[in-house]
Amino acid sequence: MRGLLLAVLALSVFGCASVKKVESGTNRLGERFTISIEGAWNQLDFPGVKPAQVWTMEGVTVDEFLIFNGIRDGEVMNSKSGNGKQQDFVFRKSMPTEEIVSLFEGVLSRDNAVFKLIKIEPYPFGGKKGFRFEYERIRKTDNVQLRGVGFGAVDGGDLFALLYHAPRLTFFPRHQARVEAIAATAVIR
Amino acid sequence: MKRRTFLAGATAWGLGLVSRPGRTADDLGYSAPPRFTRPETSGEEGGLWALMDREERNLRRSPLIVRDGDLQSYVQDIACRLGSDHCPDIRVTLVRTPLFNASMAPNGMMQVWTGLLLRVENEAQLAAVLGHEIGHYLQKHSVERLRDIKSKSAIGQVFGLFGLAGAVGQLAVAASAYAYGRQHETEADRIGAQLMHRAGYQVGEAAKIWSNLLAESQAAEGKGANGSLLFATHPAPPERRAMLEDIARSLPDGVTGEEAFGRHVQRYLDEWLNDEIKRGQYAESLVLTTRHIARKFALETMHYHRGEIYRLRGRDGDLDLALGDYRNAIENDKPYPLALRGIGLIQRQRGQRKEAIEMLSRYLELAPAAPDALFIQSYIAELNS
Amino acid sequence: MNTLTETRASVCSLLRLTALVTALSLSSIAFAAASLNLAPGFSSLEKGATVVIMPPDVELFSISGGGVSEPKADWTETATGYIINELRRKSDVLGMKNVALSEKDADDLAEINTLHAAVAQSIALHHFQGGNFSLPTKGGQLDWSLGEAVGPIHQTSGADYALFVWIRDSYASAERKAAMVALAMLGVGIPGGFQVGYASLVNLHTGQILWFNRLIRGTGDLRTATDAAETVQELLSQFPRSQ
Repeated sequence: MRGLLLAVLALSVFGCASVKKVESGTNRLGERFTISIEGAWNQLDFPGVKPAQVWTMEGVTVDEFLIFNGIRDGEVMNSKSGNGKQQDFVFRKSMPTEEIVSLFEGVLSRDNAVFKLIKIEPYPFGGKKGFRFEYERIRKTDNVQLRGVGFGAVDGGDLFALLYHAPRLTFFPRHQARVEAIAATAVIR
Repeated sequence: MKRRTFLAGATAWGLGLVSRPGRTADDLGYSAPPRFTRPETSGEEGGLWALMDREERNLRRSPLIVRDGDLQSYVQDIACRLGSDHCPDIRVTLVRTPLFNASMAPNGMMQVWTGLLLRVENEAQLAAVLGHEIGHYLQKHSVERLRDIKSKSAIGQVFGLFGLAGAVGQLAVAASAYAYGRQHETEADRIGAQLMHRAGYQVGEAAKIWSNLLAESQAAEGKGANGSLLFATHPAPPERRAMLEDIARSLPDGVTGEEAFGRHVQRYLDEWLNDEIKRGQYAESLVLTTRHIARKFALETMHYHRGEIYRLRGRDGDLDLALGDYRNAIENDKPYPLALRGIGLIQRQRGQRKEAIEMLSRYLELAPAAPDALFIQSYIAELNS
Repeated sequence: MNTLTETRASVCSLLRLTALVTALSLSSIAFAAASLNLAPGFSSLEKGATVVIMPPDVELFSISGGGVSEPKADWTETATGYIINELRRKSDVLGMKNVALSEKDADDLAEINTLHAAVAQSIALHHFQGGNFSLPTKGGQLDWSLGEAVGPIHQTSGADYALFVWIRDSYASAERKAAMVALAMLGVGIPGGFQVGYASLVNLHTGQILWFNRLIRGTGDLRTATDAAETVQELLSQFPRSQ
């Protein structure tokens, strides 16, 4: 009995998730997408997060830096979590910017969070013609009020984007400048 | 027991009850109990009060309540006039949730959801719902119901409903667990109608709520868990509507308060409609906006949002319908800025350069500080080059 | 995590909790090394330091036979009272001067209490649980700060420190217990009730979390004053006495 339980323990701790260090410097996120970071980050290597990569500074329940590395035409933007009844959000290469931002809004409201777009503007991202947007969210699961910023561009029919959100108290202001700096270093090849 | 007498049923209602001094001939003769005092915490009812006090505190601290004093006091005032002697015990909280619901707990906490305020058409309809909930309160139905369902395992979800800030996802389950018995609903409807009447409202409006909601739910594609949720908690609308129409005939006259209601909710409509559209129940949202358009309420706003629903649904022909609605929203001398934007964005995609530029430029003139001003400017520059 | 990994993460943490609780109840592993609880450079409070006790965020559940958790608001209400009393008593014993908040103040400070809960869960996972979940950038240290967000607590209460407590506790119903026994005989373990708690001491001038502790166990009860006191004792067991 005890052996069985220890096996369960091992499985659940080692099988589920891990956190990897992302070192300071230039990081190649994929074939075509590179960013440079100053100071290390933590990457949450959880099996359920795809298609995004998730990085954090303060922890899984506090802040998220989401990296979308070349989402293809027809690809689902949200992870396959939830009860299966919820709507999936699919990227189309024909989408104009305003629809891509609505797509992110959908992805970020999938947990019933209240989402409000604060600003959207053109932004040269990764050397391409892109966009930048700011938003607010209220997580309904725990009532935490978040602020966020996102950057993105479509190139060769693929979507590249970085999103960061954290509690509007303390954490978003603390890390916003770092995130803006990272976005400025992005290169799409 | 007075309550039992009152409950005695349709025949007593039809015949009219013993007359009481001070009531008008067409009054149904309900007399409310005196104000309630806080029961002992150790008892069953006291336990329910304590529990609701806690939920009220949680709700008060939720970022999802509407903190605007004007609208809150407007609804509070209506509840107060309906509750009459019980006014000091009624505390209204407006909760930002795009579903049709209101509830009142035995401690006097009343919740009104913004999805309800988006759906009723006037003060009388709002008063009908509030009066109905006050009816449950006056007759202490929740205490009786607690006894009823205590044995059911669903009771937790009942309280999940009150702690809704974190439990909206469970609402469908909660709503079904939360149902009052049909007898209680009928009784609350009758009391509500009478409270409406005494407060000077047109009782006939109560039945209209059900017609409207029925139309919405019939439009819904399939019985999704995210539907309006109201048939889980209330008797089937056709009978209910018939009964309310019946009562209305014996309680004529009164005002609807359409203008005042519209004035108070006007500046929230955009936010509430945005929340409504995000439910993704486009068929229901279309019925709702179409209904408001038919009664010429907030025309520009409703046309714009119906346009948005079509644009988002994006079936064959929907973009044309969206354009039609957007155009309706800019017809008069005060065009709705976001509708100009809508036309501009669609025409840009369709390669209608000239109109796209014109519409987007007009949008920016009217809304220079819009969240997407810089972004739209870049579209205009691109179209011009 | 919020959007993308929420479901997965919660499934994982549930499994992990279950496994941990079981392991802990089987063997008496003593868990708490002092460095785990203390921020770098902090050892204890000065004697008579003023500490405001934040409204504890507590929720009690009953687990039905089918495994559904039902919030029990009446239990919660009573338990919260017991916990506040014990926190006051215990903070006296530890040499602190405690300050209470009015309901109105608590309403105004609700957002920071919510923020604490989110941060505490990250500390519990990434620092206490550690291992695969450690955040490499934190270097194994208790290095979290609520920052300037705590300023209003200092302004409202006048205190220099705040003690935050967050507890979730669940109890198996009789039918659930029967199911547990039945399944255990078939060699299948299913979770009964368990208790999870977090406590933080926060410097109200810097926001730094100076001390943190986590409770996670299959025992403990909050439904009686004596048992609730035991839980608080346990949660504050590593708390350094004021010097």
